[in-house]
Amino acid sequence: MQKRLNRKYFLFILPAILMVVAFKFFPIGNAFRLCLFNWNGYSQDMEFIGFDNFKALINDQYFWKALKATLAYAFGITIVKNIVGLALGLFVNKEFKGRGAVRAIVYLPIMISGFIMGQIMYYFYQYDGGVFNELLQLIGLQPIYFMETGTRTIIVVILTTSILHIGSTMLTYLAGLQRIPNELKESCRLDGANTWREFIYITLPLLQPSIISSVVLNLIASFKIYDIIGAMGAGGPDGASSSLTQLISKYYFTQLRAGYASAIAVIFFVVIVIIAWPINKYLNSKKVEF
Amino acid sequence: MKKKKKFRLWILIVAIIVCLIAIWPLYELLNLSVRDISDYSSRLLPPETVKLSNFKDAFLNKQVWIGFKNSIIYSGLTILLEVVLGSMAGYGLSRGSKRTTRSIKSVQMLIMMVPGVVTLVGTYALMTKLGLTNSLFALALLTAAGGIPSCSFIYMNFINSIPMALDEAARIDGANVTNTFFRIILPQLTPITVTRAIMIAIGAWNNYLMPLYLINNSSKQPIILVIRSAFAMVGGDRNLAMACATCTIGILPVIIVYCILQRRIIASQIGSSIKG
Repeated sequence: MQKRLNRKYFLFILPAILMVVAFKFFPIGNAFRLCLFNWNGYSQDMEFIGFDNFKALINDQYFWKALKATLAYAFGITIVKNIVGLALGLFVNKEFKGRGAVRAIVYLPIMISGFIMGQIMYYFYQYDGGVFNELLQLIGLQPIYFMETGTRTIIVVILTTSILHIGSTMLTYLAGLQRIPNELKESCRLDGANTWREFIYITLPLLQPSIISSVVLNLIASFKIYDIIGAMGAGGPDGASSSLTQLISKYYFTQLRAGYASAIAVIFFVVIVIIAWPINKYLNSKKVEF
Repeated sequence: MKKKKKFRLWILIVAIIVCLIAIWPLYELLNLSVRDISDYSSRLLPPETVKLSNFKDAFLNKQVWIGFKNSIIYSGLTILLEVVLGSMAGYGLSRGSKRTTRSIKSVQMLIMMVPGVVTLVGTYALMTKLGLTNSLFALALLTAAGGIPSCSFIYMNFINSIPMALDEAARIDGANVTNTFFRIILPQLTPITVTRAIMIAIGAWNNYLMPLYLINNSSKQPIILVIRSAFAMVGGDRNLAMACATCTIGILPVIIVYCILQRRIIASQIGSSIKG
């Protein structure tokens, strides 16, 4: 009886599995196949070239630049978002009038497309008449070329993305903070601990589940950064701050080098798995119980 | 008493600064959208004269309405696919054999690590071959497939908290599994379904990467691509106010929905970040 029921329940999962197989597993498999070909993306003739695409990658400076930039984005955004997000989570967990409104307003930018936010931020970072340069001139400083060097552009993108998308991290930490039993904090205070000690010895260890999910999810999401960079006008100079996602779509759709773009896509996926999987495993192995 | 008052002032100041930073980009968008072409005054301050006719011009643009229509169709299809398949899967995962659930859960993390661009590159060739470019339905399929894994597990967590006794009672009364799910279980999950539907709709409304490459026929463009071309036409700040007005109109539905339902959206985001 139970076995027959289990089969029925499986039929409920099946359509979802088919969707994921068709639109997630199949594309990856296809990318793994295409990366062995020389192909322009639409013509009938595909030339099998083995690992030549990967050999070409080694000498492609744009690939290495994009890989470096993507790693910088992923780790930079994850670090900034988690530190600032934790601080904001602690802040909106305090009891004060209007904290619901503060939460809602901080979360608002996430509701708007990254492309549109990036497009608006473009007018903040413009050299001539940009909002930030006007602000600088107002306090008597010289205007800055925000996107002059690759490093500077990367820092600008990391800070912008982190601050615009801080709301989700804030809520993750808020959820974790709300789960910490009050008795623990009270007993800690009775033992004479000050706020700082309470934070280090009680709050931080008990927040571990939130830290795990926040770090891993932010890392995975930040690897995929795409629309905000392009819309902000970042990516340059000469590809120094372009992300792998941008590079792949450029090679595939603009330069019509589908096989080569697939090779980068494969490497990209492998890099994400190699970095995010062990972090996920390691952090999960240190789970706390309370 | 005095100490408490000082404490509160500190909170007020931080709260105001945090909110101002969050709202700043939208203020600038609105500020730029009501400017006259010749108004080059500081963007920090409100414009010299407020020119609302930019909005009128944007509303008269037929492409904006086509964009709205397509975005609504695209969002609707995505909701339908993702909610129906996701909730069904959630039910199966919750009630079915624990071994199946465990093995599916273990690949979920892997699925999340697949970047959208890899999905796009891997399916684009197929979609062109099958003539599925310029199809809002294909776009919705691709988008829904990306959301189904997390949607299923959110439903699973909620269905786990509905006692099995309810299913058994329904079965004794002669309902089969399908009826039990659609008539007994799903109606209990209406609040979750509503929140999910809103989040999916907003996600589809904001999706940029996939429409950009899968839709090139202007009669099929969702609103985000209309906004994109409005900004792309900005030459030397000439149509900037127009583009910003179009953009404001395009994101207005999202902002209105968010303002009405922010309590629910925030609560669901807090809820979903508590695992299992």
